[in-house]
Amino acid sequence: MSNLRKVILVVGLLFIAIQFIQPAHNKNEQALPTDFAKIYQLPANVERILQNACYDCHSNNTSYPWYSNIQPMASMMARHIKNGKEKLNFSDFGSNSPRKQISKLKEIANQIKDDEMPISSYKAMHKKANLTKEEKMLIMDWMNKTADNLSAEN
Amino acid sequence: MKNIFFGFVIGATTLAACNDSNNKVAENKNDNRDTAQVKAQAGSSTATTATVAEVKGTTSIKEIVTTYLQLKNAFTKDNSNDAASAGTSLQTAFKNFDKIALTAPQEKLFEEVADDASEHAEHIGKNGGNIVHQREHFIMLSKDMADLIKTLGNGGQTLYKDFCPMANDGKGAIWISETKDIKNPYLGKAMPTCGTLKEEIK
Repeated sequence: MSNLRKVILVVGLLFIAIQFIQPAHNKNEQALPTDFAKIYQLPANVERILQNACYDCHSNNTSYPWYSNIQPMASMMARHIKNGKEKLNFSDFGSNSPRKQISKLKEIANQIKDDEMPISSYKAMHKKANLTKEEKMLIMDWMNKTADNLSAEN
Repeated sequence: MKNIFFGFVIGATTLAACNDSNNKVAENKNDNRDTAQVKAQAGSSTATTATVAEVKGTTSIKEIVTTYLQLKNAFTKDNSNDAASAGTSLQTAFKNFDKIALTAPQEKLFEEVADDASEHAEHIGKNGGNIVHQREHFIMLSKDMADLIKTLGNGGQTLYKDFCPMANDGKGAIWISETKDIKNPYLGKAMPTCGTLKEEIK
């Protein structure tokens, strides 16, 4: 057997071996009382965009594509989701103080304005996350308006 | 060659076996997730207060104000890297703040402001080279600082609350300064004297 064949065999077996390691899925259907949709009057079109472009990494419910069970993608996604939820978790948004909610709402608008979010690797795999100019404006306006209302109250 | 192959078969079987028990643990975790999550939250918040209360802090409002002013001055010079290092120092100053002398309502406000402001400081610290993003956080950080100074005082030096109508996409934003002359941190060298003095904080 040639060296090349050995290398291919080893890589192939390694690929098979890592398939047995599967990270736990980020799936929790039960909505918390602190859920974004429960603490704000969320218009349907805004919620739909958040669902399509944000919730996979920023909520307790990821909608997993077919390749999510194949390693090393599974681990990569698990890491993205962990980091994403640490910064912003729509499923538990109400646990932030009003001051922090205002900051997060404005930060969401800023990240979309600056084209930092959704991240490009996510957009490459999720067509719906490629927001149109109108969709971006809708989200930014709603986030800023909600932040301003909250500032006026507090 | 045969040996390598058998090695892998054994390896893979072991992995599969290990993974089986992992999955069971994971499933159990999922079942208890709701309670666990609530507990974890409660736990982490008490844990932070406990550690902070036990360890005497080393910084005062004076250090926080001084570090904020360093950050502000870096922005007036459009210096993103200096802003980043001041941002990181400010995050540390908030973390090491000595709360011993605070009254209960002061401490409540401090906790709330520090929770928010540290995150802005962290973002500024991690985004050296991206001054646009740093300044977005500086808008919100300055609001936090104004509220903090209102409650905890100016740390012994006269401060000025200034307002720039052009910042924040034309919605305007405030900042805190140690000089009576306007030096705009949002527009920097482009429009250094744009802005108005709103309040003198003695």
